[in-house]
Amino acid sequence: MGDLGLNLPSLIAFLVNFVILLVILYVFAYKPILRMMDQRSDKIREGLEAAETARQEMARSQADTQRALNEARLEGQKLIEQAREVAERFRDEERGRAQREAEAIIARAREDIARERDAAIQEVRAHFADLAIAAAERIIERSLDRDAHSQLIAGVLDNGASLRDDG
Amino acid sequence: MPSGKSAKRLLVLGLLVLAALFLAGLITGGIGTAILQGEDKEPIFVSQPEVHLPPQTIFPNSARDHYIEFLEAEEKEKAEGHGALTHHEEELVAGGPFGGGSWVVTNTMLSAWVTSLLLIGLFVLVARRAKMVPGRLQSLVEIVVETLLNFVEGVIGRDMARKVFPLIATIFLFVLLNAWIALIPIYPVLGFENSHGDLAVHLLRSAGTDLNMPLALALVSFVFVEFLGLRHLGLSYIGKFIPVGSFLRSLRRKDIFGAFVAVFVGFLEMISEMVRIVSFTFRLFGNMTAGEVLVLMATFLVPFVATVAVYGLELLVGLVQALIFAGLTLVFATIAIASHQEEH
Repeated sequence: MGDLGLNLPSLIAFLVNFVILLVILYVFAYKPILRMMDQRSDKIREGLEAAETARQEMARSQADTQRALNEARLEGQKLIEQAREVAERFRDEERGRAQREAEAIIARAREDIARERDAAIQEVRAHFADLAIAAAERIIERSLDRDAHSQLIAGVLDNGASLRDDG
Repeated sequence: MPSGKSAKRLLVLGLLVLAALFLAGLITGGIGTAILQGEDKEPIFVSQPEVHLPPQTIFPNSARDHYIEFLEAEEKEKAEGHGALTHHEEELVAGGPFGGGSWVVTNTMLSAWVTSLLLIGLFVLVARRAKMVPGRLQSLVEIVVETLLNFVEGVIGRDMARKVFPLIATIFLFVLLNAWIALIPIYPVLGFENSHGDLAVHLLRSAGTDLNMPLALALVSFVFVEFLGLRHLGLSYIGKFIPVGSFLRSLRRKDIFGAFVAVFVGFLEMISEMVRIVSFTFRLFGNMTAGEVLVLMATFLVPFVATVAVYGLELLVGLVQALIFAGLTLVFATIAIASHQEEH
């Protein structure tokens, strides 16, 4: 073996050399390099996951927006419908009230007219009676029994009234 | 980049230059010289290489001088016979290359230190300046680390990968760089002269060609594998080698042959673990030494162009040996932690 160069000191020297190399590389190279590579792969994975989450979030929010939009549209349509209904009802009510008021005014007017007419007739009748009595007094030149003559005149007027009604 | 016709012309020109260089190498190299000028003539450019199997002492200087004297004495003994040696020279030859004190720096050790420093420099530098967004150098190192880690994970599984990775990666890198760095052409050129002015001691030499380096790695690998098995399986790991359980069971069944087989299997397991050290050592040592010799001889026989192919081959051999050393250690570790269920 000596011819091949095998000897203990050299062997130990190489052993020490290798072990020192191993330790230095392990502590100062492999560890930090592997840590860095792990960190990087973690970061990449996180980034991908974050992107995926963001994508899902976006899709969800888009769906939300769409739904809200649809809801708003439906709501709007409903509101318009309601407004139209209210307006219609209001119009109908107004129209009815106006009609009723008009009718009331007309009725009141009629009543007024009737009352006026009655009053006028009454007045005419009263004047006419006095006028007739005065005329008769003047004609016969004497005082008549007022009550008896009033009856007579009322009978004449009633005839007159019936005549006028026929007229 | 030239295009079209000029590119073609450049290519042809390049090939012609290569062919000329190859021819020149053939003529001026060892083969051409031997054929054209006779076998005892030295080639012009590259003299016949001398391969010393053991590593050579370079530091301290006294040890190197002693070593050079020893080499000269040995050469003289070979050339002129034992009788021609002086008393001093006889003592030198008998004392061996290290002359007693053997705590010396050999050229292979220096090469291993250079390799280690390069590895530490590269990796620690990158780790120090590691950024989330890597630069080119960091990417390169990370590719190496990641490829190795994937390799380890593929064999031993994710749980254990981080635990065995440092050793596997270091073995791979150390063996690989040691093999590749020795291909740098300064390796066979730098050195110390002897009294005749010839290059007697090389300053640097591929660490793999020193039997101690593969042996050291093999021992580390062995200890690591056994330690891992023990820590992972506890006493049942020892049961693989000293199968008390199956031995006693066979005895209870009055199965003497079975008991014998159990003991023998345990013994075989033990031998196979031990043999790994030897196979690890000599595989790497043999490949590296053969590679060194091949490069030297190819350069001597046909210098210039033909050696490029050999260099390519040696790059591949270095990679393959590094993979084998690291891979086998990994596989042995995987086997060691795999619980071999004994039937109870």
